[in-house]
Amino acid sequence: MSLLHTLRRVILSGPLLLALLFVASLQASAAPASPARMAVQHVASTNTVPFNPEAEQLRQMVRAGKLAPTVHVLSSLPPTTIIQFPLVPSGIKAAFPNATGLVTIVRGNRDNSVFDTVTVDVQHMPPNITFTIFLIELANKPFGNVEYMADLTTRGDGSGETVFEAITLVAFAMDARNPGTSQDNREGATSGINLEHLGMWFSSLQDAQKVLNNDTLTGTIFDGGNPPLHAGPQAMTDGQTAPVF
Amino acid sequence: MQQLLSHSADTGTHTTSYHSYHAQPILALLVILLLGLLLSACDSGNTNNTTGNTGATTTTAGGQQGFPTTKPALRTPDFSSEQIAPTVKVLASVAPTLIVQFPLVPASSIKSAFPNATATVTVMQGNPEISVFDTVFVTVQHMPPNVKFTVFFTELSAKPFGHAEYVGDVITRGDGTGDSVFHLIAFVAFAADNRTPTTSADQSGTASGIQLEHVGMWFDGVKSARQVLNNPSIAGTPFDGGNPPLHAGPQAMTDGQTLPVI
Repeated sequence: MSLLHTLRRVILSGPLLLALLFVASLQASAAPASPARMAVQHVASTNTVPFNPEAEQLRQMVRAGKLAPTVHVLSSLPPTTIIQFPLVPSGIKAAFPNATGLVTIVRGNRDNSVFDTVTVDVQHMPPNITFTIFLIELANKPFGNVEYMADLTTRGDGSGETVFEAITLVAFAMDARNPGTSQDNREGATSGINLEHLGMWFSSLQDAQKVLNNDTLTGTIFDGGNPPLHAGPQAMTDGQTAPVF
Repeated sequence: MQQLLSHSADTGTHTTSYHSYHAQPILALLVILLLGLLLSACDSGNTNNTTGNTGATTTTAGGQQGFPTTKPALRTPDFSSEQIAPTVKVLASVAPTLIVQFPLVPASSIKSAFPNATATVTVMQGNPEISVFDTVFVTVQHMPPNVKFTVFFTELSAKPFGHAEYVGDVITRGDGTGDSVFHLIAFVAFAADNRTPTTSADQSGTASGIQLEHVGMWFDGVKSARQVLNNPSIAGTPFDGGNPPLHAGPQAMTDGQTLPVI
């Protein structure tokens, strides 16, 4: 009796076991496909450029004329901000009309970057000459308040580059006895006088007189150290009225 | 080789050819010869290296100029034609580098709450003739933790500070330590308005503009200063960039010197 009962139970549960096996095999065959689908979705999501609000805000400022039209805001991944703008010849225009300069400013995370990184690349400049780089209030004379950042010494072929790491995007000049405020197009009202342009000067008046074959050039303040007014004229400028950063 | 392989595979069946039996010792000899050559080549390489490393002079077996075997001389460079602060240490270094160090001490704002706060500033110039920037290292300890401070070059180390240049930031870690490195002009930093240029005394003599020869650190936010120092009446200062004006806090660290430190 019990044998017959067991036999009947086996016969009855047979199809059920088969069905279970069938479902399990289907799931097993489907399992390897799932990661593949996830990978496809992942690739699709990484191919779309994430929205960078900081970069978009700067682009809107360029469109609105609040930043110079020569400023490129690169499609960088958030939270980085990368802008580029050209320098054009000023004091060397007649002798070196093809001189070019490119400034790239990189800021990491706006909230916790401790400096900006600035790269200046030049080509077709006077060879083997040291130029000073200043952040300035105005792109053209009288230049206003200035801040000496670094030097760039060209190679024999007139090319050169330099990198410096310092506060740039929110650079300002002030006398803390009377700091005053000024309007920064991106930030709004800020302390001090914003320095939103960049220029390059001959670090030596003698070099400038020789390179430009002009003994009447006069000295400028655009280099540090002794003696006063030993620097030469401006060589490269961003040439813009609106800020470049 | 193919024969050797087939032989080893077929040793039990005796199907290997007569020629392969004779080739076996020849191939073994060739392998031994190649190994010998390889070993001798390795040996000769080692011999050359040993000669180069242990030689008393800087010449090598190849007859080329080798690596130096003695330390370059140290010298303490002239730093300033004017008097500098007594806290400034000009390091003895290898020519042509110039390295100076000086401490920062807690300013009055944090002195009572963080009396053990310390900072060291190291300013390095590669070759004074051709360096395109200086490198400034700021290292702090026992400072308020997880706070952002701004670093400025200033005309004066104490109030009213005078002209100032915003250099960079230092963000402290949870244990109150922190460090930052900046690459920019430091030794001949100056402030100027080109509409009314002036001159002032610098380490190199008289120079254009107003020299910025001091270093200080400020709370970058007056709110964090109020919180850290538990004093809601602290007023804002201009020692940070960006909006709004006067959003920075009080000075936290100062070189505290009347004479220049850079």
